[in-house]
Amino acid sequence: MNDIGEFALLLALATAIYGVVSYVMAFRSNRVDVYMSADKTPIIVWACIMVSSVALWKAFLTNDFSLQYVAAYSNIDLDVFYKFSSFWGGQKGSLLFWTLILTTYMMVVHVQNRKQNVRLVPIALAVMMVITLFFLVLLNFSTNPFERLPVPPPDGRGLNPLLQNYWMVIHPPTLYLGYVGFTVPFAFAVAALLTKNLDDGWIRLTRKWTLVSWFFLCMGNLFGAQWAYVELGWGGYWAWDPVENAAFMPLIVATAYLHSVMIQEKKDMMKVWNMSLVLLTFVMTIFGTFITRSGLIQSVHTFDEATLGYYFLGFLGVIVAFSVTMILLRLQLLKSKNELDSFLSREASFLLNNLVLLGIAFSTFWGTIFPIVSEAFRGVKITVGPPFYNQVNVPIGMVLLALIGIGPVIAWRRSSWSNLKKNFTKPILAAVIGAAILFPFVPLTDKSEIFTYITFILCIFVMTSMLIEFQKGTGARMEAHGESPVGALSGMVWKNKSRYGGYIVHLGVVLIFAGIAGSQSYSTNVEKHLKEGDRFELRGYDITFEKLLWIKSNDTKERVVAQLGIERDGERIFVGYPEKEFYKGQKQPISEVDLRSTLKEDLYMILADFKGDNLVTKDDGKTGYFKDASVTVKVYVMPMVKWMWTGGWVIAFGTMIAVWPDRLEARRRTERLKRQEAIFLPAQE
Amino acid sequence: MTGANFLQLILVISILIAVGIPLFSKLPPRRLFAPLDPVEEEYKHLLVRKEEVLLAIKELEFDFKTDKISQPDFDALHHKLEGEAMGLLEKIEALEKQLKQKKKTAGAA
Repeated sequence: MNDIGEFALLLALATAIYGVVSYVMAFRSNRVDVYMSADKTPIIVWACIMVSSVALWKAFLTNDFSLQYVAAYSNIDLDVFYKFSSFWGGQKGSLLFWTLILTTYMMVVHVQNRKQNVRLVPIALAVMMVITLFFLVLLNFSTNPFERLPVPPPDGRGLNPLLQNYWMVIHPPTLYLGYVGFTVPFAFAVAALLTKNLDDGWIRLTRKWTLVSWFFLCMGNLFGAQWAYVELGWGGYWAWDPVENAAFMPLIVATAYLHSVMIQEKKDMMKVWNMSLVLLTFVMTIFGTFITRSGLIQSVHTFDEATLGYYFLGFLGVIVAFSVTMILLRLQLLKSKNELDSFLSREASFLLNNLVLLGIAFSTFWGTIFPIVSEAFRGVKITVGPPFYNQVNVPIGMVLLALIGIGPVIAWRRSSWSNLKKNFTKPILAAVIGAAILFPFVPLTDKSEIFTYITFILCIFVMTSMLIEFQKGTGARMEAHGESPVGALSGMVWKNKSRYGGYIVHLGVVLIFAGIAGSQSYSTNVEKHLKEGDRFELRGYDITFEKLLWIKSNDTKERVVAQLGIERDGERIFVGYPEKEFYKGQKQPISEVDLRSTLKEDLYMILADFKGDNLVTKDDGKTGYFKDASVTVKVYVMPMVKWMWTGGWVIAFGTMIAVWPDRLEARRRTERLKRQEAIFLPAQE
Repeated sequence: MTGANFLQLILVISILIAVGIPLFSKLPPRRLFAPLDPVEEEYKHLLVRKEEVLLAIKELEFDFKTDKISQPDFDALHHKLEGEAMGLLEKIEALEKQLKQKKKTAGAA
C-alpha cells in the first residue's frame, strides 16, 4: 500500500502539470475537447491524493513503522483516535492533509461549475492546480510522507503528548478548512484579473466560499485557543504566539473583505480594494504556513523539521509579485464610476471598519515579523510579546466593537443626524445604565481594568442596538404582513438570511469580546503547597487536597492525579482531578488541568508538583494511591471564559443562517439566465 | 512484475484513457465560448445592476420603516434609485432590441 500511496503522489503531480497546461490551452485555443480533457484532472488529482492519504492512514492504523513518518509520530499503544489524527501531527502528513483539502475543494469547484462560467472557471481551476502543484512538488521531492527507514524500529516514538487531546484532533482540520478555503476566492480573483472579467461575477461565485472559509478559520482559532487553555496549563488561551498570529491575520483581512465586498455588490464600487483584500487574504494564509514551516520564528506550534522556509518564501514572493502586477495592469478596468452617497452611511462605517481591521492585521504582522526585521538590521533578535499586541490591538479592537453596534443602526446610502440621534438614544441609554450598574462591582485601579470596563459598556451598547434592530424589523413586518411576533421574526430572518445571519455572527463576536475582557482583567490565581487534608480559600471556593491517586493507563502512560474537594458555602459542589501524565520515552511529564466551568467563571486547577513515596496499589495493579502525599497546586478563578466558547457557537449558528441557500436569490438568478438565453445567440455560454 | 507494479500500470493507463478520450474521440469541433461581445457583456452587467437597484429600493423602504432614514432623505434617495432603475430598464430594453436584431440576422445568414 505504501508503494501505491507514494506512486499516487507522483501520478497526482504529473496529472496536475497536465491539468494546468490543458486548462490554459483550452482557454486560449477555445476548444471544448481540450477543456473536456482538462476537466478530468481535478477528479484524478483528488483521487490520487485520496489514495495516498488512505495509504498513510492505513500505515498509522496498522503500526507500519517502516515509514519514517509513522515511526516518528505514532506507537503501538497510541489510541486509535490519535493514530488517526497523527496523520497531520507532523510536517509531512500535514502537507498531505493540506493537499487533500485543497484538491477536495478543487473538485467541488469543478462539479459546481460544470458547463457554466466557462470564461472564468478554466483559469480559476488552472490557478488552483498551480497551487496544488506547489504542494505536490514538496510532497514528492522534499517532504515525502512515504520515506522508508532502512531498519524499521519495533515501536514508534509516539505522538507528542500535548497533541493527544481531542481539541487537537478537531483544531487543525478546522483551521486547514479555513486556510485552504481562501484558495477558491483567490483563484477566481486571479482568473477575473487574467481574463478581464472584472464585473462582480467572480464575487457572486465565491461569496459562500469566502464566508464558509472565514467561519472555519474563526472556529479553528477558537478551537486552538480551547486546546491551549485545557492542554498547555498556563492559565490562558491566547499568547500572541507567531503561529497564532499567522492564523489570526488572514481571519482579520477576510473579515474586512466580507464587509467591503457588500459595497461592491450594492454600489459597483471599491473593486481595487476588494481585489486587493482577497489577494492579501490568500497571501496571509501562505505567510502563516511559511512561519509554521520555516523555522525562522520560534514558536511552540512550529513543526520539528521546519525546513521548508525557502520554498514557501519563494512561493510567497511569486504570489505577491504576481498579484501586485496584475492589479496594476488592470487598474484602469477596476476603476469604479460610482461614489458614496454620503459619509453618514453604512457604507462609510464599513470603510472605517476596514481601516480598523487592517490596522489590527498590520500591527499583528509587524509584531510577528519584528524579530526577523530586528535581527536583519541590528543583528539582535528582539521578540515582541503580548504587552505590545495588547497595547496596540486592545484600543483598536474597542473601536471595532463600537462599529459593530453603529453599523446596523445607520441606513445604507444616506443617514441624517436626526435619525442617528433617534436610533442611538436607546443603545446609549442602555450603555449608560449598564455603566452605572457595573460601576460599584468592577475595580478600576489600572489601565487594563478601565479598558475592560469600557469594553463591557460597549458590549451593552452593541447588544442593545442589535436587539433593537431585531425588534424594529419584526415590528415593521408585523405591521406590513399582520403576522405574529414569532412568525414575523422568523420570516424576517428567513427572508434576509445574510443580513440577520450577519447580525447573529456579530452577537457571537460581542460575547467573545466580553469573555476576553472579563477573563483577562478579573482573573486571580494562587499557588499552594498542600498536605492531605489541607484546605485554602480562593474567591469563595474552599479547596481541600484529599488524596493523590495513581493510575496506569497502559504500558506507555501513567497518571498521578490530585483529588481536590471543592466546597462553596459549606456545600460540596465539585471534585477536581488535575494530573500529571508520564509517557514512556518522554523526560518531562505533561500537566492535565481540570476545570469547573460555568457562565460566571471557570475554576481552573493545575497539579504543579507532587511528593508521594509510599504507593499503595490495588489488586488490579493498575490503580492506587500515595500515602502521606503532598502536592503543589495552582488554582485560577477566571471569569467569563465560557462566554468566548459560547460566542463561537453563536457565530456558527449565524454563519449557518447566512450561508443557507436563498430561494429568492436562486429564483432571481434563474430568471436572469432565462432572459439572457432568450436574447443571446445559441453559441453563447 | 509485482502486484503493486501491475496496479500502478493499471492506474496510469486509466488516467491516460480518461484524459485522452475527449482529445481523440471524434467530437464535432465546438467552441468553449463565443468571443467576448461587449454588448452582451454590458447587457448581463445591466441585468445584475437592475437587480441590485431593485433590492436597494426594497432595503431603503425597510430602512425607512425601521426609522433609520428621514422622510426628505428617503424621498430623495427613492427618487434617485427609481431614476437609476428606469435608466437601467431603458438601457436593457434598447440592448435587448439590438441583440434580438443581431440574433435574427445571424439566423437568416
